[in-house]
Amino acid sequence: MEAMRQEIILGSVFIYLLICIGVGLWAMRRTKSAGDFFVAGRGLGPIIISMAVFSSTLSGFGFVGGPGLVYATGMSSVWMAVCSALGYATGFYLISKRIRMIAEVRDTMSMPDVVFARYGSEAARLLTAGTIILGVLGYLATQILAMALVLQTLLVGTEMFADISLFACVMISTLVLVFYCVTGGIIASVYTDLVQGIVMIISGALVVLTAASIFDGGLNEASSILLANDGEDIMPFGTLGTMASLTWFFLFGLGLAGQPHVATKMMMNRKLSDNRIILPITVFGYVIAAMLWISVGVVMRALVLGDVGLPLASADEAAPAFLTTYAHPLLAGVVFAGLFAAIMSTADSFLNIGAAAIIHDIPKGLRGRSLNNELFWARTATVLLSAIAAGFALYSHYENGELVALLGAFGWSTFAAALVPVILIGLNWKQASSKAAIAAISASLLINFTMQLMQVKVPYGISAGFLAMLTSMILFIALSLIEKPKKLPPDIDRIMEL
Amino acid sequence: MKPIYFVFVCLLIIAGITGFVLMSEPPQGATGQAHVTIAGISVGGDGAARLKEIGRAPFYFQVAVIFLAVGLLYMGVAKHRRDRRFRVMMVGAAGFAVFVWVMVYTSYEAYLATGEATVMFGFPVATNWMLWGIWGSFVLFDLIFVFFFRDYFLPYEDEAAFEALVRDVKGKAQAKDI
Repeated sequence: MEAMRQEIILGSVFIYLLICIGVGLWAMRRTKSAGDFFVAGRGLGPIIISMAVFSSTLSGFGFVGGPGLVYATGMSSVWMAVCSALGYATGFYLISKRIRMIAEVRDTMSMPDVVFARYGSEAARLLTAGTIILGVLGYLATQILAMALVLQTLLVGTEMFADISLFACVMISTLVLVFYCVTGGIIASVYTDLVQGIVMIISGALVVLTAASIFDGGLNEASSILLANDGEDIMPFGTLGTMASLTWFFLFGLGLAGQPHVATKMMMNRKLSDNRIILPITVFGYVIAAMLWISVGVVMRALVLGDVGLPLASADEAAPAFLTTYAHPLLAGVVFAGLFAAIMSTADSFLNIGAAAIIHDIPKGLRGRSLNNELFWARTATVLLSAIAAGFALYSHYENGELVALLGAFGWSTFAAALVPVILIGLNWKQASSKAAIAAISASLLINFTMQLMQVKVPYGISAGFLAMLTSMILFIALSLIEKPKKLPPDIDRIMEL
Repeated sequence: MKPIYFVFVCLLIIAGITGFVLMSEPPQGATGQAHVTIAGISVGGDGAARLKEIGRAPFYFQVAVIFLAVGLLYMGVAKHRRDRRFRVMMVGAAGFAVFVWVMVYTSYEAYLATGEATVMFGFPVATNWMLWGIWGSFVLFDLIFVFFFRDYFLPYEDEAAFEALVRDVKGKAQAKDI
């Protein structure tokens, strides 16, 4: 079986990609309107929503970038994962009920729609849509790049594709993604999320067991090797230190509920009471799948520092190298399919919300109504967005050389800083004003992009996204407090009383 | 005190601590140093030296973050539903989250002081507190949501009130169409 390792892995990934294409074709017959394309007609059950929420949260960032960060910097990045229970709690306490209620009463299809319903401001809607497009481009590029890197790692191990370029891998990855997203919209996306979520949970659980068996003494031995070599890396704050880790906890824990690809899913459930089932399944799924992030990173670092394994050419190779070298071929096949699942489940969500922003929210913000034949334009926008993101991914890789994970963190922080105050606080505080929402979104975008473009290094590794989010939250509350409270539309007022 | 004021105060405290840290002179290797021989790997070096300028600021920072998180979660329940039992549960869960954080930080400080760490369940003690404790302490809030869903998050009366609202809105829309 070992001799067939590469064939088994490629076969598993191929079967998985075929399933995605099949789901796309099946969902195409169920997608008859823009409402079906963007919010699945608000008729999905709790299991589907749970899997969709957790699998789109834990993206290629968690499956490729996460282990890479642990390999490079020890436990620092794990703070992004241990905050998940808080992240989902804020989402379900503060958003899930009201966003679903507004969706039904106002027939909303996107986050900018919800922002307009809450604040009655076209400017706030436009800014939210603009934020989503900017964040989507950064984040989608991350996903495509991650998928292409994994595919390249797999294909170069074969005789036929030994010289395959990253460009070709980006093309293949993008085409599969585009196919099922264009044909089936969000219905294809959430049903592939179901398959993807299950694969991710199984992968996460099996990889932990495999990682624990690499050293005779299990993870205890791996930790002891790290303690003997450096020590700080396996302690709670890793090599990046306390403030870097804690500001990540803030950004990822409180910022999770502001992620539009996560929050939009909360509009799609059939019944409000399903939230009671969705939350625990989501948290459980995430924790099991995230174990891969931690265990693979720790073991790969211990192997290299303990002189058992060779150093990696790049930190992002930690998970692929672990699977191709140490995992049983069948397990490697399942987990590689899981890696694709993690990446694609997030990417398809981004394509969906990005397309909604382009063809639904921006036209509504500019001319008061959306485009005619929204379904056709939604599919066109999906193709366009994918092409731009693929180009951005290649540019980032060849010209910038940054880790996949850090690009992902930038996308996350753009959403968190801009949308957390406006959505998370705004849906639970009647005094929140539209001017404050506009100021908070603008300030967060300004800080995030300036720091990214000027490559500002903040002392003590404090996250730039955290600074943007903290500023926008303070600004939002302060400006709302200064302003005289305005009367809310009666339906929104009644929803905020519940 | 209105919860929004509490949240605002927590944010200002976090901003104050962050400002203090930003103004402190970072020691060399504050965010780790490149490994001498292995490219792509960084090492932490002397953890105590890295904290010399900022002292326990990170500890107080995270305490404020925990209170901020709990304040926000508290806002997620309608004002008229926040009864004594709910407040006790939130304060209890917040207390547990702070306790876990104290354990994370003090076990880390003990390691910095002695250079010794006991490894169990795969990780040093301080890291175990972080991995399972931090995650577990916030799971308490998830459990409150699940077990008290019909008391605080979607009581049957609220569900009925929402259905009445939907009927109202749709009725008005139909009347307008006619």
